[in-house]
Amino acid sequence: MNHSAAQAIFGLNPAWIATTVFIAVYALVISEKINRAILALLGAGLMILCGVLTQEAAIRGVDFNTIGLLLGMMVIVAITGKSGVFQYVAIWSAKKVNAQPVGVMIMLSLVTAVFSALLDNVTTVLLIVPVTLLITEELKVKPYPYLLAEILCSNIGGTATLIGDPPNIMIGSAVGIPFNDFVIHLTPVVLVILAATVVVFYFVWGKELTTTEQARRRVMSFQESEAIKDPRLLKQSLAVLGSVIAGFVLAHSLHIEPATIAMFGAAMLLLLDNYHRTAEEQAHNVHHSFAEAEWVTLIFFLGLFILVHGLESAGVIQWMAQQLLNATGGDFKITAIAILWGSAILSAFIDNIPFVATMIPMIKSMAPTFGGEQALMPLWWALSLGACLGGNGTLIGASANLVVAGIAERAGQPIRFVQFLKSSFLLMLMSIAISHVYIWLRYL
Amino acid sequence: MNVSTIMNPNPVTLSVTETFGAALALMRDRRVRVLPVVDLQGVYQGTFDFHDVWKTLLPKAVLLGMDSLTDLSFVSDAKDILTEKLAEASTRSVGEFLDVPIEPIHPETPVKEAMLLFYQHDGDIPVVDRKTKRLVGIVSPWEIIDSLR
Repeated sequence: MNHSAAQAIFGLNPAWIATTVFIAVYALVISEKINRAILALLGAGLMILCGVLTQEAAIRGVDFNTIGLLLGMMVIVAITGKSGVFQYVAIWSAKKVNAQPVGVMIMLSLVTAVFSALLDNVTTVLLIVPVTLLITEELKVKPYPYLLAEILCSNIGGTATLIGDPPNIMIGSAVGIPFNDFVIHLTPVVLVILAATVVVFYFVWGKELTTTEQARRRVMSFQESEAIKDPRLLKQSLAVLGSVIAGFVLAHSLHIEPATIAMFGAAMLLLLDNYHRTAEEQAHNVHHSFAEAEWVTLIFFLGLFILVHGLESAGVIQWMAQQLLNATGGDFKITAIAILWGSAILSAFIDNIPFVATMIPMIKSMAPTFGGEQALMPLWWALSLGACLGGNGTLIGASANLVVAGIAERAGQPIRFVQFLKSSFLLMLMSIAISHVYIWLRYL
Repeated sequence: MNVSTIMNPNPVTLSVTETFGAALALMRDRRVRVLPVVDLQGVYQGTFDFHDVWKTLLPKAVLLGMDSLTDLSFVSDAKDILTEKLAEASTRSVGEFLDVPIEPIHPETPVKEAMLLFYQHDGDIPVVDRKTKRLVGIVSPWEIIDSLR
């Protein structure tokens, strides 16, 4: 194993130090006893203090493109959310199907999937779930199937684009895969998975969902236009969001990184939302917009990148990649399918962000074996589909699942782990089976 | 000057076993907005006020306090549903509504502390004996103002 430029303490092998720190952090993150951002920062600090990395090397390990893209999108969504546009779309979609309970479930699932493809999954469910609870209460139907469908469709929709789910942002940034390639290679299979999932919901839960004419009329009388709190901000937000997405589409040909586009978009929207305010109002408003960003996630990413870079520079990642290649006999097809299913099963139980952070350098190091970086593309799609869709396997598989469960609990509609597992795990396996067929037919 | 010198030592109280409907009727009859709730031994259990009433009548989703649903300007008022909810709640015991009791103050608490609590949230504040936890009085903003004249 290689030694890093830094000097490990007490002359210990840096590979052992890096592995010990990484496993300890990973185990504590899984135990959920201590906040994951604290653990990632502690682990990153230990990598430096124990001499696995120098501070300069640690900073080089941080993928600021991922962090910038996440932060920029978080700020844009925080400001856009104030306009009330997401509630508008949710109510509009429910009324489009005459507030029929099954139709509402399907429409809200599709809206969740589309929003998740363009925004962060957690943000999407935070915006959609409260309106869903309001509509189901008015319709006097059980919210569980709606929430379950929204969780699953959020993770499915997020898989479709570069910006939809953190694993895709990380893969896209680390490998330099442009926005359009994610759309070309992942969106088709995601549409098939989404359609299959919605059909299952229609047949399994559809018959149970009935309501009265009176309740339906109540929802139909909702005035979605009243949900728009700030029409001026709405126009500005949609213009910036649209420009940012157009920017992602053109980014590759313009040689601009996604983080630059997202951060510039955030800066533009902050300017539009603040230029007409007093200095005091601006200070308050800008503080609020930045405070809305999920700093725990961002700091977690920061620490995690340093932790993984520690493992990488100590030679542990290369060793792990070799073990995976030995297990698959160096066969490309078996490796791709193993990554797809392995990522899915593991991501159902553990956080997919540290998992993907570890897998990226592992897969990168396989390039010489499989004939160069371009040949690895199917492995990246397998990792993305496995890690993103695997999050649907259990209630703890993805952040969005836990966020919905938390809101549901507070609303007096708790989602039980086993109850969720019975439906979600089978639907997750179905989505991976579809992905398996897709990867096999298109790439192998 | 502390709370014991200004409090009303004979507040209208409610037993935990009383119903929501009886509590509302008592609030209307005695023209009070906050009712301290006590058990059979007179030990303070919490308060019943209009916050509990609105919590019962409003959609649960809007009570979650989430940024994405802070107003109900787009919904329609359905009197039948609200009447039904109120009737359903009326037979339940007030004990079920005491999930967030107001932190009581004590007879020896300085009046300034009571003023600060009134500044932070509206509503009369129960006064509880520190040792026995029994309700010994209640303070409303008017008792403070009147004591200063």
